Amino acid sequence: MYAALLANRYLTTRLIPLIAVGAVALCVALVVIVVSVMTGFLDVLRASGRTLVGDVSVTSGIGGIPYYAELVTAIEALPEAEAATPLIDTLGLLRMPYPEGKQKEISPVQVWGIEPASFARVTRFSESLYWQPPRDEAAREAMLPDDPRLKIDASLFANGLALQQSSTGRSGMVLGMHVSAANKRTHDGSYRQLYGWFMPAETVTLTVVPVSASGRISEPKDRSFPIVNEMMSGVFEVDKSRVFIPLSDAQSMLRMDNAPMYDTSAAPDASGSFPLIGVAPARATRILVRAAEGIDPNTLRDAVEVVYQTFCEGITKDPARLAAPPQRPSILTWEQQLRDLIGPVEKEREMMRVLFSIIYIVCAGLILSIFWAIVIEKTRDIGVLRSVGASRAGIMWIFLRYGLVIGTLGSLAGVGLAWLVVRNINAIHEAIGRDAPTASWVGALALAAACLIPLLSSARRAKLLPILLWLLSAMTLAIIGTGLLLHKGTLIWDPAVYYFPRVPDEVDWNTAWLTLSFGILFSVLGAAIPAAKAADTDPVEALRYG
Amino acid sequence: MVEQQPIIEARDIHKTYRDGQVAVSVLGGANLALKHGEWLAILGHSGSGKSTLLHILGGLDRPDDGAGAVRYRGEVLSFARTASLDQYRNKRVGFVFQFYHLLPELNALENALLPAMVGKSKLEWFTGMRSERQRASTLLESFGLGHRLHHRPSQLSGGEKQRVAIARALMNEPEVLLADEPTGNLDAATGDGILGVLAQRHKAGLTIAMVTHDASVAARADRVVRLVDGRVMEQ
Repeated sequence: MYAALLANRYLTTRLIPLIAVGAVALCVALVVIVVSVMTGFLDVLRASGRTLVGDVSVTSGIGGIPYYAELVTAIEALPEAEAATPLIDTLGLLRMPYPEGKQKEISPVQVWGIEPASFARVTRFSESLYWQPPRDEAAREAMLPDDPRLKIDASLFANGLALQQSSTGRSGMVLGMHVSAANKRTHDGSYRQLYGWFMPAETVTLTVVPVSASGRISEPKDRSFPIVNEMMSGVFEVDKSRVFIPLSDAQSMLRMDNAPMYDTSAAPDASGSFPLIGVAPARATRILVRAAEGIDPNTLRDAVEVVYQTFCEGITKDPARLAAPPQRPSILTWEQQLRDLIGPVEKEREMMRVLFSIIYIVCAGLILSIFWAIVIEKTRDIGVLRSVGASRAGIMWIFLRYGLVIGTLGSLAGVGLAWLVVRNINAIHEAIGRDAPTASWVGALALAAACLIPLLSSARRAKLLPILLWLLSAMTLAIIGTGLLLHKGTLIWDPAVYYFPRVPDEVDWNTAWLTLSFGILFSVLGAAIPAAKAADTDPVEALRYG
Repeated sequence: MVEQQPIIEARDIHKTYRDGQVAVSVLGGANLALKHGEWLAILGHSGSGKSTLLHILGGLDRPDDGAGAVRYRGEVLSFARTASLDQYRNKRVGFVFQFYHLLPELNALENALLPAMVGKSKLEWFTGMRSERQRASTLLESFGLGHRLHHRPSQLSGGEKQRVAIARALMNEPEVLLADEPTGNLDAATGDGILGVLAQRHKAGLTIAMVTHDASVAARADRVVRLVDGRVMEQ
């Protein structure tokens, strides 16, 4: 009981433990803030990546998957699957409408031929379409007055969703937001158009090269598409290269649509034509699948593998079928597909976590040095406690408990501070981005001037410590005031440069609890050495010390 | 009433302190028997080993290995386990020091309560806390400190501090009080008051072993021994 009483008194009657609590709090807060922001980036990256690939994808080679509609139906019948959609994934060249004149810019692009309705059920295609009017009043108010989305026609969004220009009935194209060099990102994360190139009012020409299942290249095909909208997934790599066109257009351009098959080994008829065997089925190169609510992507992948095996065997054994699906397509979860994108960021975060773990050692070292000084100071008290029967373990427990209390208070305060900073990180960032208010620098400089009064008074009394303390206070406040005066708004996180428009502001609670636990553990470990020294103190020597 | 049976007995106690290569012999075969109910004064000049002997009697220190033995009611203390010695210091003896040695963070009442807190488990403490506090208050009030219960040591005079220290030593109702120069840091009048407190307790049956260098203080005891060259000489 005495251990609790003494630990409590040591904590509340002196300043130095409060400094230790503050130091532990700052250490813990630093780790939690940094890792939370990095985890936030990772989450945004994952969510954005998943937005456009669903949960599981079945990917074949360039030959594609024939009879894919049957496979989609079989997958959608799975209780683990919510929806599935076929698509064609190929590369192409896009002739942009700019600059003026005959020499237009050509951009290499990744072309996805999609069925817009089913694609929207599997992915968040509709949410990713950039040109849409504000969803509600709050969104409208959050936009800058010159944001073009405040003035756009609502039909633009519908056109994007349908991949069709409603006025002409032509197949349309949706561009990734950064495919066009004319889109300029502003500081609030919205876009403006350079030189008036508003892409949804333009037409582009897409060129693709059909490749047969055997790898033979055919004559390139080109087709012009009106741009019906632009899309922002949140992943720069995707948004700078991906374009969407209707699946049927992609199939016809790549010769992957339904086509009559002739028996070229037979003799031609009177008109010179070979006998018709049948119609070769249309193909898709990928099937994207969305998991049903609460289903893990890995579970869905296993179920899709079984379905594909059954589908493949059924087609192969049917002599009436004119094409066989590939035996071993790649069936991957979204996380496996985005490994190359997410992996490096994850490694970076873990590296940060390890590097910042040094902070725990700083915590332990800090507590050790403070407690060492306290144990030296309290040597006589240790002797007194031993004289009234306190055991060595009891003496050790006083200081361990003291470390535990400091570690717990400091770590909790650190998590609280981190929560405050992370939740308000965008407001803090915005404040840093503005000029400092006049009152702040005037106040700081006035306080610095006020510090000179006690400084002069201390100088007259020739007291060195107060002179030093007041001098340091005056200098610090003067530096802060001057810094605020000179501060003209520094945008640290420029959304025009970094991809995400807002700094992630969610605390990574797993990291927070882990850091809290380690903060406490290392505080106790730091206290253990002085505690052991206290326990080993010879009571007679300790009493003489007093 | 002094019984003939010794409550604490020290036989042939040797104690040597080492300071690097230099060995300083403090006790060289000291023999002492403290009888139940007596007030014994150990007289000696500064550095004669009085405090060392008192610490060995109180189980705070041990004699040199294999050099003599201290017995408490016939039980050899010198070879007792550390935990048993902790118990002995908590329950059987109480120490009073020249410089009071009160814990500055605790008030008078809490200082007096310290041995009770040390000697009890959490459960025992919580169930008996009220009565222990009452007992400590009564003890302090009996020493004229009723109005100083919640004062910190820094707010007390020397005499008051020593009375709090005596209350702390008596909190667990030990059989023996071991006082090391209890008046050594006090003026004559205050010291006399402290000796009065000890006399009062002695009259109530408390056994006291008191170390002093002052013959007039030693004169208050039932019996006086002198420590000369590390040995105890009867006066």
